[in-house]
Amino acid sequence: MATSKRITLQQAAEIIKDGSSLTFSGFTIWRRPFAVVYELIRQRRKGLHLIEVNGGPQTEFLVGAGCVDIWESCWVGHELYGKYGANLSRKVGNKEMIVEDYSHAEMMFRFAAGAAGAPYAVTQTSLGTDIHNPDYDMLGKAGKRDGNRIPQHKYVFTEDPFYGAGSQVLVPAAKVDIAVMCVQQVGEEGTVRVNGQYYSDPEAARAADITIVMAEEIVPEEYLRRNADQNTIPSFEVDYILECPFGAHPTGMFGRHDVDGAFLKDFYGRTRTQDGFDDFAREWIHGHDHMSYLEKLGWSRMLGLKANTALNYSPRTGKGGK
Amino acid sequence: MNDYALPEEYGLADLLCCAAAREVQDNEVVFAGTGLPMVAIMLAQETHAPNLKLIFEAGTLDGRPPEIPTSVGDARCEMGASRASGLYDAFSIAQRGCVDLGFLGGAEVDVYGNVNTTVIGDYLNPELRLTGSGGNPDINSFARRTVFIMVHEKRRFVENVSYITSPGWLVKQWPGGDFVHRRELYGSAYRGGPSAVISTAGVFRFDEASGRMYLDTCHPGKTPTEIKEMCQFDLDISRVQGDTAPPTRAELRLIHEVLDPDEIFIPKVKKG
Repeated sequence: MATSKRITLQQAAEIIKDGSSLTFSGFTIWRRPFAVVYELIRQRRKGLHLIEVNGGPQTEFLVGAGCVDIWESCWVGHELYGKYGANLSRKVGNKEMIVEDYSHAEMMFRFAAGAAGAPYAVTQTSLGTDIHNPDYDMLGKAGKRDGNRIPQHKYVFTEDPFYGAGSQVLVPAAKVDIAVMCVQQVGEEGTVRVNGQYYSDPEAARAADITIVMAEEIVPEEYLRRNADQNTIPSFEVDYILECPFGAHPTGMFGRHDVDGAFLKDFYGRTRTQDGFDDFAREWIHGHDHMSYLEKLGWSRMLGLKANTALNYSPRTGKGGK
Repeated sequence: MNDYALPEEYGLADLLCCAAAREVQDNEVVFAGTGLPMVAIMLAQETHAPNLKLIFEAGTLDGRPPEIPTSVGDARCEMGASRASGLYDAFSIAQRGCVDLGFLGGAEVDVYGNVNTTVIGDYLNPELRLTGSGGNPDINSFARRTVFIMVHEKRRFVENVSYITSPGWLVKQWPGGDFVHRRELYGSAYRGGPSAVISTAGVFRFDEASGRMYLDTCHPGKTPTEIKEMCQFDLDISRVQGDTAPPTRAELRLIHEVLDPDEIFIPKVKKG
């Protein structure tokens, strides 16, 4: 076996530099690599460029902490537990960061192009909307379109040259420095097994130059290779691995634990202002490490979230976050 | 069969849920977002549309969840599904033209069914930044029909939305931004568009040729004139068919005893 891919939480965060472009595994409030997100906030990372198929609490925490300069995506919020991204909304209103809007399918297809090594994807979605308004090309307005990591255009319109199907929109491949994944299992050599919906994880891992996988458990590689058809990401696409139980909290993980709705509700309610965010970060992030964070949450809360192994979710969780 | 509930037996959310469920036809492929639409689709599945196929945006295909998921990424989506995969599948299937109906929401809607979920006020100097598009424009671009469920306030039913997040019947042609019928823009990908808006006041439909919204039914207790007053644009009330059918008692039992007993999306009406 080659050199170990194992790193610590601190090292994972250190791989992500000021100004790095970054994407994550998961979907809205599910399987987000929160332990790494918290560590980035503790290390006071600056100038991050998030490129996400969809955003969620991880976006809100990083944005609230002032780590993010650019966000390219389509959605941010906490689903049932907070109807919009209050921190992002505040920072956009104050012009403290750049937001580039695409549609959800456009973001997905941008990652698929990035993962396939293609320069762009073609789609018919969102024609006629303000997503394609040339005045709303925010990275272009800011003079950031260098044609290197940030594409020369937000999108390009063309006509179908093959079948005469009419207007098409070309969207640029997502080029991302680092993908941070949060999954159920990873092998010693990096093979990933995601249980449940894999969302846009395979494309995110493949599109990024460096892929860090934080898993609920590191398992013997041989165990995963016995049923290779059940694996999600091949070993060589993963550069670093780390084990971090409950690293997704407060987001959920299929088969392991539910979303902590009460935690997200509390965050959403308390962080409408910068003072509120800073207060929340002092309570839950700064001065903590992952273990002291879990101790603060406590056994009874964690056991309430623990998934039933037959159902893959927790039948005990108050879904409304009550 | 017509055991319609009396006004005091149901709430507005019940009425919306049942009106939404009635938009579903059996055997259709339906794209579900989070919230009340999910309850509506599952209600249709339990009543007149047992063979509908449910797609969750996060990647569950033909899902039959035994209890209501809190979001489309939820582990509850996968139970009983034909396949659990990812967003690339879900959006490719939609772009391929496999989706009959999608349920969506919005903060603002205009007379042509253009919907805004991105920003209140000027995009470049926003009063309030909202969640953003999510899959709203994608489902609205790809599905044959879409149904919007919205809170009805005069400030939300506007002549022109602040930002077109999701395409209605008359949309903007770039780079100029002139309004054209969506048929002209979507070419062979044109399959339809918004077929109904179910608001807290009534049910609205669209004239496909002109692309303009008209009032179809009024929720019990509302009059066409009242509803016209609740829109900033000149609402066509010449085609009203009467009142929106109330929920049946059987539908209410399904909603509150089977689908959403914990009142996550639909509150129970308090007795007495």
